[in-house]
Amino acid sequence: MANLEASKINHDTHLLLDQPLLRLPYELLRKNFRSARFVTEKDAEFVKNKLAETAKGSLDGKSSPEDVVKNLDVMLARMRGLKRKLSTYADEETKLYRQIDARVAHLRELSDMHTVEDVKYETWSRRRLDRLMVDYLLRHGYNASATALVDERGMQDLVDIDTFVAMSRIRASLLGGSVTEALAWCSENKKGLREMHSNLEFMLRCQQFIELMRTDSPSKMNDAIAHAKKYFPPFNDTYPTEVSVMAGLLAHRPDTEVEPYAECYSAERWSRLADAFVDAHNKLLGLPSFPLLHIALSSGLSALKTPACHGSQPTSSSRPGHSTSLTTSVCPICSTELNELARNVPYAQHSKSHVESDLLLLPNNRVYGKARLEEYASKAGLGPNQVKDLVTGEVYPSDKLKKVYIT
Amino acid sequence: MENLQKALAQTNKTHRLSSAVDNVDKIIELLTAAREQVVGALDPHTTSLTITKLQNPTKSAFDAVHENMQKVSTAHRKLGKALDKHFPLKPLPSDHDAMADHPALINRAIAMHLLREGQFSVASTFIEEAQDDTAHHNPYHRTQPDDTPSVDLDESMDEDGADPDAKASPSATASSPGDGQDLSSLQSQELQTRFSEMYSILQELKARNLVPAIEWARANSSELETRGSNLEFELSKLQYVWLFKGPTVNGLPDDESNGRAGALAYARRHFGRFQGRHLCEIDRLAGAMAFASNIPASPYRDDFAIDGAFSDVASSFTREFCSLLGLSAESPLYIAATAGALALPQLVKFMAKTRTKGTEWTTANELAFETPLPARMMYHSIFVCPVLKGQTTESNPPMMIPCGHVLAKETLQNLCKGTRFKCPYCPLEGQIKDARQIIL
Repeated sequence: MANLEASKINHDTHLLLDQPLLRLPYELLRKNFRSARFVTEKDAEFVKNKLAETAKGSLDGKSSPEDVVKNLDVMLARMRGLKRKLSTYADEETKLYRQIDARVAHLRELSDMHTVEDVKYETWSRRRLDRLMVDYLLRHGYNASATALVDERGMQDLVDIDTFVAMSRIRASLLGGSVTEALAWCSENKKGLREMHSNLEFMLRCQQFIELMRTDSPSKMNDAIAHAKKYFPPFNDTYPTEVSVMAGLLAHRPDTEVEPYAECYSAERWSRLADAFVDAHNKLLGLPSFPLLHIALSSGLSALKTPACHGSQPTSSSRPGHSTSLTTSVCPICSTELNELARNVPYAQHSKSHVESDLLLLPNNRVYGKARLEEYASKAGLGPNQVKDLVTGEVYPSDKLKKVYIT
Repeated sequence: MENLQKALAQTNKTHRLSSAVDNVDKIIELLTAAREQVVGALDPHTTSLTITKLQNPTKSAFDAVHENMQKVSTAHRKLGKALDKHFPLKPLPSDHDAMADHPALINRAIAMHLLREGQFSVASTFIEEAQDDTAHHNPYHRTQPDDTPSVDLDESMDEDGADPDAKASPSATASSPGDGQDLSSLQSQELQTRFSEMYSILQELKARNLVPAIEWARANSSELETRGSNLEFELSKLQYVWLFKGPTVNGLPDDESNGRAGALAYARRHFGRFQGRHLCEIDRLAGAMAFASNIPASPYRDDFAIDGAFSDVASSFTREFCSLLGLSAESPLYIAATAGALALPQLVKFMAKTRTKGTEWTTANELAFETPLPARMMYHSIFVCPVLKGQTTESNPPMMIPCGHVLAKETLQNLCKGTRFKCPYCPLEGQIKDARQIIL
């Protein structure tokens, strides 16, 4: 049976949706380390130089012991600062390693299951759904719901709340008309952004320029020119047209109707900036550009959907309301939750018929499996030679039934 | 995954940033000690001596910090390699997000999932947050086309005495597109009440108290009967058996409403209404009275084996309860996500193939590849025309020809010579007017 094959878990491909689960903490680990190394090297360099300088001064007799003490205090302050920063990074590292451990253990559980009929698989798969939901919630900024669900399920190490909360904070600040947080994020991730040729920083700088121009006051105009002189030159080669648009903007007041300048002043730029930030953020951390739940659903809905799910007449197989208790379960696509959502996805392809055995045709053209008809007849308390339509409730004598052959 | 776990266990726990912190601590100690010496003496000679002496140990301590950093970096790189080797990155579908246009519908599906899972507080937090979101012109969503249709739960929700046909097709109750948003139409309060009712009844069933379930079944007996469910009788029957077993087994008070006498009284009171449909079973239950002393050796032992009976009625109760709400018994979101994970490899494979060929992913009616699912995830009968090799649809329905074979309508039209055709599977010939459209 092909179905037995279908319920096997293919360990090589079953974890496609779970790749970010390990990739993200790994990326964060690298990022955390880079920041740690950066501050360490900076402070170490400073203290080393200061120490050499102090020693030299002291030997030459140029600096008094008091000066030396002062210098030592400066160095100590630096090192204490470094210790504090480094401890934060070390704690972050410990947390990330713990998350990776927990996640690998969680994914490892799957290796012991071989078919989806395994009772443990359901538990595992439910946990995966919880993870997907949290991912979805966080990406939409529903942080309270995500936290509530995580607490309820006790899966703190399996989800990335901090990352997404930080992201949604920056996103919200952009939507609120502030570039400060986003610029800070850009400078934190300068290298990564450069490697992926992101124009986010440039766009933010443009927005700052636009905001200065929007004030429409001569003094701010000078600020705007100064801003442009300071920040635009590095981008002259990469974005020549955009830079010249910005230059042209100097000649256009906020109420202009001339394109592309009117567009520059439009408030919608902010939401586009927010989207651009989210894209850059996700790309930088190797996250898919849309929620994993979307991927799971669009593939799952199609795989489950049949032409009958949105048909105008009830079929003889399961349909809520029409279905009887003899149908094993109501089809999830026909259920209220997903019916509308599934309307626009293609239905699954099948190359084999999938029908009950011993099909019988009723005079009203409906077809049912023999076993189901007999069971329903006995439950309905009918006589031995009568059957009842499971959907319409019509009763027919058994000799009016015709056998149906599905080839 | 095992290999990855091993690789992870092998990473040296000392190659962490915390060891760098220890070395920084050492430098602080060195500096503090030197400072004390300088402050203590405050003469140029001791000062220059101390400072000079300080040079080498600090240098080596800084080198140690540097070395720590190197080791941490190496450990990370090793982990990265292990990841690449044992969990290689595979591309996910990323160019086409069919779900992006329907955040409202997804939100609703999630809210309903949370409710049916009994996560009432999470659900209410979520509904609040999501409604806030839409109320404030959703600052978190990308600019969405505002045509997401909403489905009213009303119809399928009001089950008491509702015309069963009204619940027939929840899709038909979809209100006009653009009319209101998602969660407000969810009537979460209503749904929550229903599901908490379901959970409390299930709780009682688990504690082997059938009464609330029987009451529910009786209140909904006409709908249940239309569905051909004999849940009410099954519950009553179990109650009879349960009473019959007496106080030693069921732990109920030992009075006239318990034990054999209680069971008999219960049967007299309640079984009358089941006589039409379940006379035979009632006879058996009553007949068992005669064998009360040694049921296990009697022909009635199967009726009185109650080991799995409680969990059986609990699962059929859940199914009936959800069905009366127009919902499937298992969470559709769970099924869909699981099916999604199972079908995803096929999608990824297909994408890789079409990408090399340069063909486009299209949202045609039918998926371009097969996504085999386990049998329990197939909910509808599927008929694939043996000649056309495609599924029948509403516009191309299955037709049964007089010999009993089934073909798609289009096939039949193509086979026809005039008004007659020959069955491709047997020697019989038929006339087109004798073919009947069937409903599978």
